[in-house]
Amino acid sequence: MSTPVDPLVNALLDGDQIQAIAEARRLRDTGIENERIVTDGIEVAMEQLDGKCTMEQFNLLEIMLVGRAVMGVIKELYPSGVPPLHTKGTIVMASPEGDVHDLGKNVLKAVLTAKAYHVVDCGKDCPIERLIGAAEREGVLAVAVSGLMTSLMPQVRQIRDKMTKRGLGHIKIMAGGAALKQASAESLNVDFVAQTAFDGARYLDQIAGGAHEQH
Amino acid sequence: MNSIERLTAAVNFQRPDRVPVIAQVFGHAATVAGVPLGEYVRKGEILARCQIQALQKYDYDAVFALMDTSVETEAAGSVLTYRADQYPSVRLYALSNVTDLDGLSVPDPHRAGRMPELLEAARILRREVGDDVLVVGCVLGPMTLATQLLGIEAALYLAIDEPERFSCLLDFATEIVIQFGIAQIEAGAHLPIVFNPSASPAVVPYQFFREIELPRLRKVFATFKQAGAVANWLHIAGPAEPILSLYPQAEVDIANIDYEVDPLDAQRALPEICLDGNIKSFAFVEATPDMIADESSRLMNLFANRGGFIMSSGCEIPPESRPENIAAMVAAARERR
Repeated sequence: MSTPVDPLVNALLDGDQIQAIAEARRLRDTGIENERIVTDGIEVAMEQLDGKCTMEQFNLLEIMLVGRAVMGVIKELYPSGVPPLHTKGTIVMASPEGDVHDLGKNVLKAVLTAKAYHVVDCGKDCPIERLIGAAEREGVLAVAVSGLMTSLMPQVRQIRDKMTKRGLGHIKIMAGGAALKQASAESLNVDFVAQTAFDGARYLDQIAGGAHEQH
Repeated sequence: MNSIERLTAAVNFQRPDRVPVIAQVFGHAATVAGVPLGEYVRKGEILARCQIQALQKYDYDAVFALMDTSVETEAAGSVLTYRADQYPSVRLYALSNVTDLDGLSVPDPHRAGRMPELLEAARILRREVGDDVLVVGCVLGPMTLATQLLGIEAALYLAIDEPERFSCLLDFATEIVIQFGIAQIEAGAHLPIVFNPSASPAVVPYQFFREIELPRLRKVFATFKQAGAVANWLHIAGPAEPILSLYPQAEVDIANIDYEVDPLDAQRALPEICLDGNIKSFAFVEATPDMIADESSRLMNLFANRGGFIMSSGCEIPPESRPENIAAMVAAARERR
């Protein structure tokens, strides 16, 4: 059965930013609230994309186009930068110091934003101390690090000890990216190693669900 | 057989005296020689000296006149950040503020950026090893160079939003690749490997590769053969299996397969093309020599009847790798008949 939000979902999955923004405006003009456009439009599109990615039929170009369309719609709905009302939690992310590649991190950011997480992006070439400082300040659910170079691994391994010393041992740590994903969670001293952005999002959904149940 | 004869036999599906082995040792050669990576990638003479030392240490079948993935883009005007112990990275992309892609001039490989240093490395290496060991130069594939000239996000969005301008960008990149590759062959490289991670199906769809990148790769490889390359070697990292069957159209002679590709799938896709791979790069950092030896044996068993195989890693062996792991892969190939 079709719904009024379907054209938005289709435009998002096509990666058509212009059409997606037009559909979001149309929905809002018919009196549909922003929150419903997010939950029935953006989140449904991301679930469908997630399913496609699970079948390994995805590539960076498609994800980037969908991510750009999603970010365009969110900016249209929340022009002042206010995130959707009910966030699943806050995630702080970075590419560690020495890594100036941030495409993987940016893809994860788009995916998580579309899945209603509040994302604090510490950027690329980011010292671990700055990442941990942001985690402490923001009261995050998890920290995510993305890396393209195996030489970053010693830095990643230090994150847990440094966080524990600052009383942040309860915060989950996730790693990903072309280099880091080759290592095990144990060897990186993290909680999870994501093979793709969606793999990472699924892990965060699990711990976000657990956090909500505890509340 | 010397290394060139051994590799030629593998490429032609004839029986070599042993399985050829190429460790993809680039910056690790600097580590072996105790030279900072930041120096290694800037001086051809230093690079060549380190490569020769690594060859003497490990005794494999190829050396690499290869710096990093930013040589071409720097020569075209990108600004890099150099660090003592890492590969350089692009700080400012050459074409990030360029609106007219038609009026660009191709950098002269003998004058621009570090290109002359890489040519010097190829020249020294060829002088040192002659025709006994394969001297491998390196160029980026057109798609990868396009992403290095503009930044990958901007390049991919350009491909969708302004396909004609993107086509101009790719043609410009292709011309740089061709000129640089020919210069490497003239300097002494037996072949330039075409390193093309941005053409991986993890980055762009199959149809994109077939319609947009493949015709340009065909032109690149045809030109290299004409210029004297002993073989065409294509290196696309990541899960490349969906596009392997297209490689013959570009006249690829050696296809690198990364650890994410099942060697048996690759054999089915490329029954008449020599494959090299595919031990996980990070295993050379983290695994033990026994594990590397076992994995090497497993791979050689998979190719025992077929032939057409070069024992190698799936991608670069990281600079910080354990030397005993590289030695274990080489020993596994050398001890097997």
